[in-house]
Amino acid sequence: MDPFSAEGELINIHNHFHQGQYQDVVDFDTSSLSSENALPARVLQLRAQIALGHAEDVLADVQGVTGPELEAVGALAEYTTGDVDSAVKTVEKLAQSSADNATVQVLGGIVLQAAGKSDEALALLSQHSGNLEAVTLIVQIHLQQNRNDLAVKEVAAARRWAQDSVLVNLAESWVGLRLGGEKYQQAFYVFEELAQAPSTSSVRSLVSQAVAELHLGRIEEAQSALEQALQKEPDFADAIANLLVLTVITGKDPKALTSSLEQVDAHHPLLTDLAEKSELFDKAATKYKPKVAAA
Amino acid sequence: MQANSGMLTKFESKSSRAKGIAFHPKRPWILVSLHSSTIQLWDYRMGTLIDRFEEHDGPVRGVDFHKTQPLFVSGGDDYKIKVWSYQTRRCLFTLNGHLDYIRTVFFHHELPWIVSASDDQTIRIWNWQNRSLLCTMTGHNHYAMCAQFHPKEDLVVSASLDQSVRVWDISGLRKKHSAPTSMTFEDQVARSNANQTDMFGNTDAVVKFVLEGHDRGVNWVAFHPTMPLIVSAGDDRLVKLWRMSETKAWEVDTCRGHFQNASGCLFHPHQDLILSAGEDKTIRVWDLNKRTAVNSFKRENDRFWVIAAHPEINLFAAGHDNGVMVFKLERERPASAVHQNTLFYITKEKHVRSFDFQKNVESPTLLSLKKLGSPWVPPRTLSYNPAERSVLVTSSADGGSYELINLPRDGSGAVEPTESKRGQGNSAVFVARNRFAVLNTASQNVDIKDLTNNTTRSFKPPHGTTDIYFGGTGNLLIITPTAVHLYDIQQKKSIAELSVTGVKYVVWSNDGLYAALLSKHNVTIITKSLEQVSTLHETIRIKSATWDDAGVLLYSTLNHVKYTLLNGDNGIVRTLDQTVYLVRVKGRNVYCLDRAAKPKVLQIDPTEYRFKLALVKRNYEEMLHIIQNSSLVGQSIISYLQKKGYPEIALQFVQDPTTRFELAIECGNLEVAVEMSKQLDRPKLWTRLSTEALAHGSHSIVEMCYKKLKHFDKLSFLYLTTGDEGKLAKMAKIAEHRGDFTSRFQNALYLGDVEDRIQMFKEIDLYPLAYATAKSHGLEEECQSILEATGLTEEQLTLPQLGAPLTPPKPVVPTYKADWPTKAASQSFFEKALLGQVEGLSLEDETSAPTNGFGLDDAGDEETGAKRTGALVDVDDDEDAAGWDLGDDIVPEVEEGFVNVESADAGGAGLSEADLWARNSPLAVDHVAGGSFDTAMQLLNRQVGAVNFAPLKPRFLEVFESSKTYLPASAGLPPLVNYVRRTLDESDPRKVLPIIPRDLEYLATNDLQRGYDFMKTNKLEDCQRVFKGILHAVLVNAVSSESEVAEAKKLITSASEYLVAVAIELARRKFTPDMISQNPSNLKRSLELSAYFTIPKIEVPHRQLALLNAMNLAMRSKNYSTALSFANRILANGANPKIMESAKKTKAQCERNPHDAVEIEFDQFAEFEICAASHTPIYSGTAYEECAFDGAKYHTKFKGTVCTVCEVCEVGKHGSGLKLFA
Repeated sequence: MDPFSAEGELINIHNHFHQGQYQDVVDFDTSSLSSENALPARVLQLRAQIALGHAEDVLADVQGVTGPELEAVGALAEYTTGDVDSAVKTVEKLAQSSADNATVQVLGGIVLQAAGKSDEALALLSQHSGNLEAVTLIVQIHLQQNRNDLAVKEVAAARRWAQDSVLVNLAESWVGLRLGGEKYQQAFYVFEELAQAPSTSSVRSLVSQAVAELHLGRIEEAQSALEQALQKEPDFADAIANLLVLTVITGKDPKALTSSLEQVDAHHPLLTDLAEKSELFDKAATKYKPKVAAA
Repeated sequence: MQANSGMLTKFESKSSRAKGIAFHPKRPWILVSLHSSTIQLWDYRMGTLIDRFEEHDGPVRGVDFHKTQPLFVSGGDDYKIKVWSYQTRRCLFTLNGHLDYIRTVFFHHELPWIVSASDDQTIRIWNWQNRSLLCTMTGHNHYAMCAQFHPKEDLVVSASLDQSVRVWDISGLRKKHSAPTSMTFEDQVARSNANQTDMFGNTDAVVKFVLEGHDRGVNWVAFHPTMPLIVSAGDDRLVKLWRMSETKAWEVDTCRGHFQNASGCLFHPHQDLILSAGEDKTIRVWDLNKRTAVNSFKRENDRFWVIAAHPEINLFAAGHDNGVMVFKLERERPASAVHQNTLFYITKEKHVRSFDFQKNVESPTLLSLKKLGSPWVPPRTLSYNPAERSVLVTSSADGGSYELINLPRDGSGAVEPTESKRGQGNSAVFVARNRFAVLNTASQNVDIKDLTNNTTRSFKPPHGTTDIYFGGTGNLLIITPTAVHLYDIQQKKSIAELSVTGVKYVVWSNDGLYAALLSKHNVTIITKSLEQVSTLHETIRIKSATWDDAGVLLYSTLNHVKYTLLNGDNGIVRTLDQTVYLVRVKGRNVYCLDRAAKPKVLQIDPTEYRFKLALVKRNYEEMLHIIQNSSLVGQSIISYLQKKGYPEIALQFVQDPTTRFELAIECGNLEVAVEMSKQLDRPKLWTRLSTEALAHGSHSIVEMCYKKLKHFDKLSFLYLTTGDEGKLAKMAKIAEHRGDFTSRFQNALYLGDVEDRIQMFKEIDLYPLAYATAKSHGLEEECQSILEATGLTEEQLTLPQLGAPLTPPKPVVPTYKADWPTKAASQSFFEKALLGQVEGLSLEDETSAPTNGFGLDDAGDEETGAKRTGALVDVDDDEDAAGWDLGDDIVPEVEEGFVNVESADAGGAGLSEADLWARNSPLAVDHVAGGSFDTAMQLLNRQVGAVNFAPLKPRFLEVFESSKTYLPASAGLPPLVNYVRRTLDESDPRKVLPIIPRDLEYLATNDLQRGYDFMKTNKLEDCQRVFKGILHAVLVNAVSSESEVAEAKKLITSASEYLVAVAIELARRKFTPDMISQNPSNLKRSLELSAYFTIPKIEVPHRQLALLNAMNLAMRSKNYSTALSFANRILANGANPKIMESAKKTKAQCERNPHDAVEIEFDQFAEFEICAASHTPIYSGTAYEECAFDGAKYHTKFKGTVCTVCEVCEVGKHGSGLKLFA
């Protein structure tokens, strides 16, 4: 039986992970798990550690350990600590040797995509068999490539065999936010459901809810959700970024937020985009000149 | 007990066999006549026995309430009919005449008549006003078991053990007794003695129809309230339905089912139903039209003898071997659900409707549920799913069933649901957007189903589950008879449990943080994690509840609307004359459904609970507001405040001096306490005040109290401790005067006045003491004089060891000079506020006037206000907006080769939505949002000749920045970028467009006003910055209609005029007084600029300022003629009196000498504009250039330069016109 399915023993830790409740994953009591589920649980816990910013610890933890799962975790940790080449190399090796391993697929996919090798990532992920996480990654990669059509297809296919899973709901909502229209509201419901139930609530789901509200034009609600999220985790870059966007939309001055975002994550896409566009502006502006210079 | 599906027992009494029942038409009372000779009067709502009437001998079989009078009638086996008053609780009189047991008695609905049926085979009609027998109807040849008046016509129907039912015409009787009394007394006597036959030989009452069909005795018969129908019940176990016309009557049908004698039957007052009761211990309900059994209720041991219906409300009563039961056939609570501002409910006709709280309108029928369940069972609950706009309806029919139906968008009459999904279950509620839970109580199973009605999971709820409710996202509240569980659907376990018994309903607060659990007599408030917050008990049944937005729970009992705060404080809001089910509170309106499922609005006064809530939340502003705006003074609120420890607030409400005193003492407000004590002047109060004042260190008040109380010793001691020797000496004098030696001694001691002490001792002949005192103080002379006076010598005395002489204590500080407060006087925030000391609390602050930087009174504030709102419309628009409508745009070709990937299936990246925006729109702003800055610039260049883009950079980045959000997705990967749209409902990628920050409306309501304010407050640099910002924001913007385009143009013109004006004034201010005095050409220029400042078309109040400024400057330079023209213009515009006054004065002065000292280039009579670059006039008729964007005018020599107003466009470059709307 699939250990992640609704009846499996990993369902809770698995859901915690994907709902962004990383601390709950780390604190999860794995002692009562059956032996075949111990490894997947450990992988989840290690990944949660990485997500919490303890990649170095994880790296030390899996140093010299063999077995494709933990090696893949090691690669992810390496990538997170900045050792991109080594991570990609490890992943590529693993993709050769054990491409059928679900953990290798998922973690390999993440590393490859993050390193900008989307095609390779997709190739690795497409070998999955009934691995929902791989599906969500594929969806995300499609979305990042702006292939909404492919993402929609992927979700629709997954929905057929895994209707009730958190992952499918999330992936569908991601797509929904891209498509818009009525889908905004549906995505909002999913995120709200996760964010508002105490057992599933996390900063990430709160931010997601806020993003959906922002798209729905409910600025005030979005703002309160973002402020709530920042109260829980003041350094959450995406929350700051979205609040910044919201501030601009409401016509206020975003300077304070810009600087706090710079502090937290200087490489946030918002900042890099902005810097790039600023440069573009200056370049483009030079093409135009008045006929007569000002007196 | 019995398995009575659907029947709701409201009341049961235990007694001997009940033979007769009557409902009171108005009050919740029921009369029960018993086989044991007693008549009981019950309040079935409270369940209490109000009275007992025991004057009959033997069983009492018939009772009836009078419809309007406080009377009832009874008839028993003692052959007597008794008429009683339930007010005086006495039998008023007895009607004798029957010769055997009396079976039934009934009042006539309007005439003062009673009809009775007796075992003496007669039916008699009596007049209870003159206590006489009017008529005896004979014809039955066995016991007459039942006789009733027709509710409208002059008919009586009777049933007898002779197996017949008879209908009697009593119109003759009515004629006889309402005929005008034109006949003689003899005639009347003759007539009344004629007994039944009048002069035409007619009897007063004649048999109209004899209905034969029962083949055993008939026990009961009744008319239909409106239709010509009769129902009868007999010992042949049958219930028969008869119909009659004017001329005949016939049997319609028979209802078969009772397997023992049928003892009673009646028509349902409002529905097409027949009810019957029998000795087979059942009550049966029949369909009047189909004569089929609808329902039956069985009792284990008790045979039913009688059944009665309430005339108005949906209640029935049945008498059986061991008492009486009052019951309903069905729930009257209309199924309903509230979502935001809409109420969804099911009417009595089983139509789903909605009600909009904001508009107060009822929708037409959205859906008909006629086919749901059995026709006689109304739906029980309604659960609404806003995401899918679907409803989940449950019904108790068929052992519990639910139905999931989508609501149509608009109601278009009674639409049968096209598609519905149904199943078995007792409760069904939505638990998420796409899930609902179904409880099956019989199998004790909860299924979670998706919208296609497939079970996705299922679990066993805690033992004995009776109901389920939504429990917050992902949770269920599971109700068992003794507890409530919060159940996590995902984890399939109960995460919290609270023992509350008999919960029937759950009502969530609007913010989802709290819920109220309603049981029959209790309200328990819980948090969303099932922690109990408070609980309260009601003796009257609780029917419904709803939360207001501030977190106050309003609930309804049978006869009240009440409130409770979270802390459990509660009270009555208003009384109810009929039962209603609250659904929503908004301001002073409570929305509810009545029992007929009609939405109603009740008015309430929320002041009391709002005040209490504000008190609990310590929201003093709110409290203050309430106090000042409502008449909240009442004993209850005062005692509440006192009880809650807010005496100082309570003090504000009280008039009664005693209470005021108590409160003042309690909150330490001595001033008030003193005032009240003076008013009341009672020793007790002075004593209390003195104690309190002492604790406060207010010894002047203490002193006053002691004086009032004449506590001389205390007063002395007070003076001692405060060091007030003067007063102490006075006290000594007083003591001497009073001849109070103890007091005098005490005072002398305090004062250290030895002489006085000795003197006093001597006066009272206590020479030894006087001597000892003198001795110890070394007053030898005094000693001697004492010895002399007593005739003793020193040797004769034996003195004890004398100590050091007493020195009275000296206070360190002369406290008496001022009070030395030991306790801070508690002047609450609240009092201060009431005294108006707290700043920013004034209730007028909304209207506080902005300060005026020009040092003038607010120039025509009212007018400005009016102008502000219509600013965009009012600004003159005679500027020729040339170049705006010059045909179609030249959309720049998008050079970048977009790869068309729409049909490509294989990998590779696609176009982002941002790229699409540039494709979808010819507006520069959409290109900017999409990050395509170069094409945007190209567009602007072509439209308005924009060349200098640097000032637009913040706007470009602002628009770009606001268009994307960052959605955290898979851990380890960057967030997913999504694109914020202004076309919210659009999902066609070819039509989507980005959101634009600071749109036109925002600019008009925020930036523009800010600009005006800066203008007013003389912050011209800020003003300039704001108006430039407006121009840049409009330049890169989008609007949604043609009319908004016009508005945008006005905004641009207005901003442009202001910028020119401000630039002129700023240029003038560059001339320092020194520069002017040194160089006369500077003076000339300065005067010119001040004159030009009055030219741009800015708002009138602002122009007045410019004019005033120019006028004053001109005056100072003795340019009287120019000044005069400004003064005239000011007067023509009209403004506030101060400016007008000043203008008038100037005018008067100038008219005396209308000459200019300094010649300036300003022709007050010529038409001209001001060049925005050189700030010199452009007279009409001369050639000029302008900015294609903002319309600023320039001398031709400035062609090709950057416009000084917008700082973006090239002067004189004509474009296709700014495009804001595609």
